[in-house]
Amino acid sequence: MVDRFTLDVIAQVLDAAAIEMFEVLRKTAMSPIIYEVLDVGTGVLDRDGQLVSSGAGIPSFIGVLDKSVQAIIAKLGDTIVEGDIYLTNDPNHGGVTHLNDVVVAQPVFWQGERVAWVASIAHWGDIGGRTPGSMSTKTTEIISEGLRLPIIRLFEAGVRNEAVVDIIAINSRLPDFVRGDLWAQVSAGRRAAATIQQLCERHGRDPLNAAIEAARTIGARRSNAGLCALPSGHYPCVEEQDDGTFWTAAITITDDRMTIDLRDAPTEANGPYNLSRDGAVVACQVFFKALVDDDRFANAGSFAALDVLTTPGTLFHAGPIAAHAYYFETRMKLIDMLWHGLAEAMPNLLPAGHFASIFGTVIAGQHPDTGRRYAMVEPQMGGWGATSKRAGQNAMFSTNHGDTFNCPVEIAEARYGFVVLEKTLSFGPERKGEFSGGAGVRVSYLLRNSAMLSVGYSHANVPVWSIQNDSIGGKNQLRINRSNGTVEVHHFASDIALNQGNIVEIETAFGGSRQAQ
Amino acid sequence: MTTTKRIATDVGGTFTDLVAIETGPEGMKITTAKSDTTPPNFEAGVLNVMAKGNIDPKDVDFMVHGTTVVINALTERKGVTVGLITTEGFRDTIEIARGNRPDFFNLHYEKPEPFVPRYLRAEVPGRMTYLGTERIPLDLSGVSDIVDHFRTEGVQAVAISLLHSYANTAHEEAVLAEVQRLWPDVSVVASHQITREWREYERSNTAVLSAYVQPVAARYLGNLDKSLREQGLPQSPYIMQSNCGVDSLEATSAVPITMVESGPASGFWGAAELGKLIDEPDILALDIGGTTAKCSLIEGGEVRIMTDYWIERSRKSAGYPIMVPVVDLVEIGNGGGSIAWVDDFDKLHVGPQSAGALPGPAAYGKGGNSATTTDANLWLGRINKDYFCGGAIDADMDSAGKALKQVGDKLGVSTDEAAQGIVRIANNNMVNALKLVSLNRGHDTRDFTLLAFGGGGAMHAVALGQELQVKKVVVPAAASVFSAWGMMMSDLRRDYFVTQLADLSEGSATGIEAVFASAEDEARATFKSEGIDPARLTFLRYGKFRYQNQEHTTEVLLDGTVTDGALSKIMDDFHEAYEREYTYRLGAPVEMVGIHLVARAEVGKLEMIPAPLGDADASGAVKGTRDVDYALEGKHPATIYDGEKLRAGMAFDGPAIIEDPGTTVVIHPTNTVSIDAYGNIHILLEGQS
Repeated sequence: MVDRFTLDVIAQVLDAAAIEMFEVLRKTAMSPIIYEVLDVGTGVLDRDGQLVSSGAGIPSFIGVLDKSVQAIIAKLGDTIVEGDIYLTNDPNHGGVTHLNDVVVAQPVFWQGERVAWVASIAHWGDIGGRTPGSMSTKTTEIISEGLRLPIIRLFEAGVRNEAVVDIIAINSRLPDFVRGDLWAQVSAGRRAAATIQQLCERHGRDPLNAAIEAARTIGARRSNAGLCALPSGHYPCVEEQDDGTFWTAAITITDDRMTIDLRDAPTEANGPYNLSRDGAVVACQVFFKALVDDDRFANAGSFAALDVLTTPGTLFHAGPIAAHAYYFETRMKLIDMLWHGLAEAMPNLLPAGHFASIFGTVIAGQHPDTGRRYAMVEPQMGGWGATSKRAGQNAMFSTNHGDTFNCPVEIAEARYGFVVLEKTLSFGPERKGEFSGGAGVRVSYLLRNSAMLSVGYSHANVPVWSIQNDSIGGKNQLRINRSNGTVEVHHFASDIALNQGNIVEIETAFGGSRQAQ
Repeated sequence: MTTTKRIATDVGGTFTDLVAIETGPEGMKITTAKSDTTPPNFEAGVLNVMAKGNIDPKDVDFMVHGTTVVINALTERKGVTVGLITTEGFRDTIEIARGNRPDFFNLHYEKPEPFVPRYLRAEVPGRMTYLGTERIPLDLSGVSDIVDHFRTEGVQAVAISLLHSYANTAHEEAVLAEVQRLWPDVSVVASHQITREWREYERSNTAVLSAYVQPVAARYLGNLDKSLREQGLPQSPYIMQSNCGVDSLEATSAVPITMVESGPASGFWGAAELGKLIDEPDILALDIGGTTAKCSLIEGGEVRIMTDYWIERSRKSAGYPIMVPVVDLVEIGNGGGSIAWVDDFDKLHVGPQSAGALPGPAAYGKGGNSATTTDANLWLGRINKDYFCGGAIDADMDSAGKALKQVGDKLGVSTDEAAQGIVRIANNNMVNALKLVSLNRGHDTRDFTLLAFGGGGAMHAVALGQELQVKKVVVPAAASVFSAWGMMMSDLRRDYFVTQLADLSEGSATGIEAVFASAEDEARATFKSEGIDPARLTFLRYGKFRYQNQEHTTEVLLDGTVTDGALSKIMDDFHEAYEREYTYRLGAPVEMVGIHLVARAEVGKLEMIPAPLGDADASGAVKGTRDVDYALEGKHPATIYDGEKLRAGMAFDGPAIIEDPGTTVVIHPTNTVSIDAYGNIHILLEGQS
């Protein structure tokens, strides 16, 4: 029997290993969306693919990698050997999100036995498909969204499969970037694998498993404590969408479980807005965690009390052909719906709505000074909602993002060659007796040569919601000011040609308000 | 040989410390003294401690001063009202910040508030490009109104930060001159005077924070200088900086933000210098104080200096960046006074809350009822309860026992086990911190000597060294005042960081060389204006490189003039450094992002004089024996040595404890110990020789 302090020490090291992986990736990645936006998750998993610890920049990448590794085990079972490294990016094969997000997973062996897994997921700038950046608003099938990697071996028993690297590189518009990002992920995994092997060397395999089990118990206890403090009940959620339709769901809370029922979802979309069931579960997990235990500590135990119900063939449980490129806006809107539903019922527990969009903005072209190709892939910041005690926060990334960093203007101008004309707070009205919503951001780019724009955002038509209040929050918007004076507003669009002198103007919503108490 | 007297004074939150070292024909004489810190007139405490140490300012040849005035003014929000002037369209840069939410599941997260509110953030038209060319001319016509507005609103210091000023300083210089013309007596700083690196939020925030503390720090340093000079100090004291060097009092008064982490810096510099002295250039340095433990890695005798420094940053908060040269360190909330606590889920934690000096550990008997690391060390016999704090405090073992029992009861273990657990958890926190600066950056700890100092360093050093399998453990003589010693070993040093993108390809060497040469010229001019002969200056040139399209850089030391012929060697060095840290290399093109130039000159640096090695027999220093619980290795009867009686050449084996008025050295059962010619304690671990 191992003493409790040894277990604590092992658990701490496992935690540190995932964070360390994350740091390696942040420092070595080629794509700005990895090293600055931190569209990255890393994880240590037990031998069966249960989440042990995670290093992540964003909450919605916690609880992704367990699903990936479990899919690998389900597919390959006994053929998994020491020295293997696997790739997947297909939501139908453990990829969870969209094709841009590539999972690199490595089993960790000690004395010939699999003791754990290490894995990472990172957004690659371009994985092929019909549009630069691989996120087209026009796709209707996953096959046209880029290269699909349905759980394949990059390394087989320690031997690198050069063919795989070649296939990936030739299918990307940014081959140097994807090569760099791939090796950054491999390197991060190796670092964590070595740490776990040292742990086994020092303490043996059984204490490792005991420490994982003990940490999982704590994860479950933390969540259960939070769940117990919530008012039990059945809470319906209804949310109006930009296209005029309404989504519905229901949340049932008891003393020891939460069930999120998404079975009433719309039929899967004939466009790139679908979520895999895994993707919908991850969204529910993010919301669940924020409600019951908002600390960053998370493992498989943290989510054990959550049930998510879905129907195959719907937006939240899409079928094998469905397109997924803009899955993240759907995931954002799913959380927004759940959050709104509970905020109406528990107004003192949750802030009013925030700008609720990733607002992914892609500008791709050739640098006017260096001639090099570039692809800016950036989310936007926006306003957050007022709480029962204060006004909303100004200019932060959305709830699905987290320790995400915006790109400094000085670096953006050097890297992409356009001019950033302004980047400023965009306030909503101030009303007496109200805690107002936080300011969104107004940012505009002046193009110095031609480029292509793709964009997608929510709350274009339906404003951000407030709590128990007549006034409402703002809306998100992207405009193009053409040189001839015309102004175009785009919402979900890709492959829009931009010319020299055009100005792309983005304004994100201010947050929802509420009456001051 | 004449006698030279050097002194270092260090103003801490509670105490002001003094170390004086006199070198002459008789060898070295070291004096230490301690007195209370005296806010708000800190100079009084400095004069008090000098009087207490019998130091007449007239006799002092060289004085270094370290102070926490800057970090205190920042964390306690005791700076002045600042107005910011920035580029049109970007007044909100310091409020938007980087937009991140590190506490990402928390829907109630609150951003750190900017140090300048929106109504005191003004804009001027005019734009530079990233290449340093002018895109829109600067328009100064509005500055007069801005200054009037600032005056009306009670602004006491002005910060100026314009886009791309790292690439071309002209616009910032013009605004600076205009503000000085319109308002000659205001404190004003432009971002390029502090840093020439890109990232507008970080640079602007740095300028703002420097302005925020400038009047406070200038007043402090001015008063200190005046009092000391009135008492006959022949030349102004040098001021300890965060980059492990000292700088002149005048330069520090103008841009005081460079002092922000000067406290830990002096200790780490001391570690580098001591390493050179004892022929151990590769050092893992560990400083354990009352509240925190800090560690840093020294390779080849050089500390690593970076500009990615943040205050108040954690998993719960984004914090504030300060883009000044700071020694690369990891700090954790784990010191002697760190409180052990059990969370709602029966997990034991140590720190980051500290019992501080008051009430202090339970064993102080001053009403503290929380168990701390110190209480656990006392309970396990590692600290002598009859010689607690050098005999200055009667250890209240009843209170310590009660506090530890409470922890044990919550965990369902005995008081002894609780004490062992606290020491083990604290050690593990520190091991993880040490790994962050070593293993995680590709360094093999077996190649490094662990050098432990501060009040608590020596207590934990061997346990940590064993876990990390270091080459050996060294505890310096006078470990508790080691930081002050480090100050006396420091050079007058400035680190110049300049962002300058360049491909590493045929024909690019001239441009790169020009950036270095220009920074070197600037350094020579600055040092010369302070009366330092440029011939005494030495330079270290580092390039910051990356694979094209990456963001983060790897620093590589360059050798001599940059020529096209030298580029392939530079590239090889980069590939090698990169691969060591990240396990792979790429065929991608390499680019330079900027330079890091170190300029330094010796100013009155101390030269250590070795003592002759005597007899190995250490029995004369033995005080007795007692049972000591080593946590992992269990209980052993240990020989107790009086640290003040150890002499050069003595040697003995563990298990043992060395007791000194300022610190306790815990020697584990399989260790062997020897004392070197400078009084440092060398500890070899099991099987080492």
